[in-house]
Amino acid sequence: MYLSRQLRLLPRANIARSLSSSGAHYTTAPAEDSHSTIEIPNRIERSPTDILQALAGTVGRDHTAPHYKYHDDPFLIPMSNAAKRTYAMSKESGRKAAKWIKEEHRELFMHQEAQPAVEKFAPSMVYTEDSHVEESSLRQLISQGELKDAVLVYNLLEQKGTSISPDLKQSLLELVCFHNNQEPLPEEYIEERWFMQNNQRRERSAKTWKDGDLAEKLYSEIEPKTPQSYASLIRGMAKYLQCERAYALLQEAGEKQIQLDTNTFNSIIQIVSFLKDTAEQRWQLCTELLQEMSQQKLRPNLGTLNSVLQCISTFGNFKLARSAALQVLPEFKQLGVSPSLGTYYYLLIIFCRERGPVSHVIVDILNDIAGKEFQIEHPKDTYFFATAMDVCRNHLHDKSLAKKVNELLHTGKNYDLVGDSFKESIYYRNYLALLCQTESLDDFMLTYDLLVPNIYIPEPGIMEEILRAVEINGGVEYVPRIWSDMVVFDHTHRESLLLYVLRILVDNKPSGESPAQQQLPEQGAKVALDMYEKVEDAIKRLRKVSFTGQMLGDILTLLVRGGNFEKACEVFAHVDKNQHRIPGTPAESALQEFVEASVLEKSPSQALVVLQYAVENNMDSSALAKRIHEGFTLNEVHLSKLKSLVGESFLDK
Amino acid sequence: MSAGLTRLWERLPLKKHAAQSRIRVFSNQDQPEIEDDEEFRVLSLRTVKQQFQRRQQVRRDPITPPRTTRMAVDQDWTAVWPGPRSFHPASVPLPLRQGFTERGAAAPSKFANAELMKIPNFLHLTPPAIRQQCEAIKRFCTPWPKGLETEAKWQRHFPIEVTTTDYCQSLPTIRNPEARKVTVSLKLSDLRFDSHSRDKFLRLVGDRYNKETDILTIVTDRCPQKKQNYDYALYLLTACYHESFVTEPWEETKSEADMEEYLFERNQSKISAEGILNWNAKEGAPKESPSKSYANSVEQLINEGENEYNLGKYKEEVKKMLNIV
Repeated sequence: MYLSRQLRLLPRANIARSLSSSGAHYTTAPAEDSHSTIEIPNRIERSPTDILQALAGTVGRDHTAPHYKYHDDPFLIPMSNAAKRTYAMSKESGRKAAKWIKEEHRELFMHQEAQPAVEKFAPSMVYTEDSHVEESSLRQLISQGELKDAVLVYNLLEQKGTSISPDLKQSLLELVCFHNNQEPLPEEYIEERWFMQNNQRRERSAKTWKDGDLAEKLYSEIEPKTPQSYASLIRGMAKYLQCERAYALLQEAGEKQIQLDTNTFNSIIQIVSFLKDTAEQRWQLCTELLQEMSQQKLRPNLGTLNSVLQCISTFGNFKLARSAALQVLPEFKQLGVSPSLGTYYYLLIIFCRERGPVSHVIVDILNDIAGKEFQIEHPKDTYFFATAMDVCRNHLHDKSLAKKVNELLHTGKNYDLVGDSFKESIYYRNYLALLCQTESLDDFMLTYDLLVPNIYIPEPGIMEEILRAVEINGGVEYVPRIWSDMVVFDHTHRESLLLYVLRILVDNKPSGESPAQQQLPEQGAKVALDMYEKVEDAIKRLRKVSFTGQMLGDILTLLVRGGNFEKACEVFAHVDKNQHRIPGTPAESALQEFVEASVLEKSPSQALVVLQYAVENNMDSSALAKRIHEGFTLNEVHLSKLKSLVGESFLDK
Repeated sequence: MSAGLTRLWERLPLKKHAAQSRIRVFSNQDQPEIEDDEEFRVLSLRTVKQQFQRRQQVRRDPITPPRTTRMAVDQDWTAVWPGPRSFHPASVPLPLRQGFTERGAAAPSKFANAELMKIPNFLHLTPPAIRQQCEAIKRFCTPWPKGLETEAKWQRHFPIEVTTTDYCQSLPTIRNPEARKVTVSLKLSDLRFDSHSRDKFLRLVGDRYNKETDILTIVTDRCPQKKQNYDYALYLLTACYHESFVTEPWEETKSEADMEEYLFERNQSKISAEGILNWNAKEGAPKESPSKSYANSVEQLINEGENEYNLGKYKEEVKKMLNIV
C-alpha cells in the first residue's frame, strides 16, 4: 500500500481572522513581526492521472525486452514470426476459453465482489424462444450493439405481434446494415484483430451483401420511407459492395426529392470504381455526385475527401488521376477540411506509382506533417506508414526521408496508427531493406540490433538483402551473427540462403589483422558444421532442403580453414558415399584445400580417397595428384593406387 | 561411369537399411559401412523383428541466451526496470550470487535463486531514475513560500498539523475504510489559557494530550467521509477551547479529591505545620504561619514526586522552620 501524507493548511481566511480578532484569549500564539504576509502559491490543477502519466513519460523503450504481452523469460520469448503469432493467439484462446466457461456455467459466476461492480463480469442475458421480452430490451440490446440477440428479440416481438415503434425499427435497421447481419469479431479479441490480415484482402473485391435478408425486410416494413432509412440501406449496401442496387437506391431517393446526408454520398463515391469502368466515366460520375451534394447543400467532410481520392486512385489513366487529385485538394482545403493520414496515403498511391514517373510529393507531405500527433480519423489512416516506407524504398531510394517517416511514427501516440501486424511487418521490411542498401554496415547493424528480434523479425527475403549488403561491404565478421539469427528465426529451409551464407564465408578469406576477424575461421567452421547438421536433420524429417555438391564443398572448405579436420573427413565421406543423392560436385578449390589440409595432417589415405572421387567424377585430378605426390612420401600401396587412378605419367614428373 | 550406375541401382534398397541401422538400438550384426560390388546380398529377415525405434526425441527450438548478453553497457536502465519487480535474473546484467554453501564452494548463482527473489530489490530506484522522475514531476510543484524557511516559522504561522492517508491497493474494490481517518495535532503552547481554562481543557481533552511533548492530538474517524472527519476534528478543538473558558455553577463543588495539583493552602499539611508552629502558643497571640518557601517545597515535593533535589529542599525548609541547625 502506498501512503501519502499531506500537510494540509488551514484555509487562509481562518488565519487572517484569528490573527486580527479582538478577544484576548481567542488568539493564537503572540503575533510577532509577521508583517510580511505569507504568499502561498495556488495549487497547480491536475487530473487524477496526470502525475502517473508524467512518470510514465520517463520510461523509454527497452530494446532487448519482448512485447509486454509475452512472458519475459528466455524460454518463452518468441523468436520467429510463427512463434509470435502462436503465443499471442494461444494467450487469447485462453481468454476465449475463460469466456466460454463463464457462459457455460453462469450459475457459478453470480457474485459481484468489485466496487463499483463490473458489468462484464456479470453473466449475460440469454434470450431464448420463451423469454419474456419487450421493446425496452430491444432498445437496450441495440444500444449495446449485440446484433444476434437484438435480431432474436426482434423476431420474438414480431411473433408475439407487439408493435415496434418506427424509430426503434430504424435503429435496428442501422445496426443490421452496418454489420450485414453478421456478428462481428468482439472487440475484446485484440490479438485476433491484430493478426487478421488476409481475410480482409479477399473481402475487399467480392460482394458480400446479403440480398433479401433481414435488412431489406426491415427496410420494406418502414412506411413511409424516411431519409434515415434510405441512408442506412444505401450505406450498408455500399459497404458490402452491392453497388448496383445502392446506386439505384440513391437515384430513387434523388427522384423522390429525399434529403440524404454527407456520409451516404461518401459511401457511394467509394464504390464508383465498381460502377464504372474507364477513368473518364468514373471521374464524371464522381463529379456528378459531388454536384448533387452541393445542390442539396450538404457540407463535405474528411470522408468525402478520402472517398474522392480513393476513386481517383483507381484510375488507370495516370495523367487524369494526377490532375484530378491536384484539383480536388485545394478545393477541399478551401472548404476547411483538414487532411488526415488516410488522405496522404491516397496521394501517395496516386502519385508514386510503380510504372509512372518519379514523384517527390512525399517530401512535401512530410514537411507538412512533421512533428504532428495524429489520431485515428478514417479507416485508411493506418495504411499511411507502410505505404510511405514503401515509397521511400522502392520509388525514391531515399534514406533521409525514411528516417523522417520513422521519426514521425515515433512521435507521441502515432505508433497506434501502424495498423495491424501485417502493415507493421511491411513497414519494417521496407525500412530495413532500404537501410541495408544505403547505410554503412556498422550503422545498419546498430538499427538492426534495436529492431530485431523483438519489434520485427525479418523474412528470408530481407535476410538475403542483408547478406548481400554484408557481401558488398565486406563485413564478413557479421556473418556468424546473422547465421545464428537465421537459425533462431527458422529460415534454414531456404536453400538459396544457405548457399549464400556459405559463399560469403568462403569467398572472403579473413585477413587476420582486424581483431573482429580473428575468430572468423573457427566461427566459420562452426557455422558450416551447424548448417551440415541442420540439413541432415532436415533430410531426416523430409523437409524441402537437401545437400548440393556446391554446398558440401563450401562446408568442407570452411571446416578445413577452421582447423576441424575430422569433421571435414566425415563430411567428405558423406559426400563420397552418397554421390547419387547429391546433385553436383564440390568445387575444385574445395578439394584442393582439403588435400592441402590432409597433407598437413599427414593422412595420405584420405588424400587418395579425394583423388579417387575426383577421378570418378571427371574433375581435374592432375593438380590434385601432383600435390599428393609432392606432399607425401608415399609407400607402395599408395603409390600403386595413385598409379591406378591417374596413370604412370605423373610419377615421372 | 557404368560402374557408378550399377552402384546406384544396388545402393538404393540397401541405403534404407543403412538408414534404419542408425536408428536401431540393438543390432546383432555389424553392418559393414562400405559395401563392395562383389558381395552377394544376404537376405536377413531376423533383423526386421528386432528393430524397434528409439522414442522420438522431442525437437526443441533453439533457446537464445538470456537478454543480459545483449544489453549495452550504457543502456537506459530506467527503461528496463521502471517499477518495483521481483528479481528476474535474465534481465539483470549483474553477476550476483547469494546463499549459503559448504566451505569452499561458490555461492549459488542468480538463476533460480529463491533468496534473491524473496528479498526486496531497489533496482527501480537508481539515482538516475529518481532524478528523471523528479524532473518529470517538477512542473506540478510550486515554489516554497517565502517567510516559511525555518521550522520555527512554520510552527508560528501554521500551528495546526492535519494528517490524512490515501490507500492504493490491488483488490476488487478501490475503497478502503481507513482512508476516512483524520488526525489533527496542535501544540498547546500556541493556545492561550488561564489556569482554570487550562485545567478544564485538559480534563475535557483527557488522553489526547501528551504532557511530555505538549501536543494535543485529535483523531477522528466516526464520520464516513474524510472531509466530515476533518470538520468534526476542528469543531471538537474549537468547542473544547471555548467551553473551557465557561465556568459552570457545579464547578464550585470541586473538592480536594478532584484537584489536579496539590495546593499547600488547602491541605492538611498547612494545618499540621501551623499546629507545630503554634504549639504551646498563648491564646490570643498572632498565629504563625509556615513560610512561603516551606509551602513551595511541600508543593514541589508532592506535585513533582520524590527526587533528591525535592527531598533535600524539603529537609532544608523543615530544618529552617523548626530552627534546627
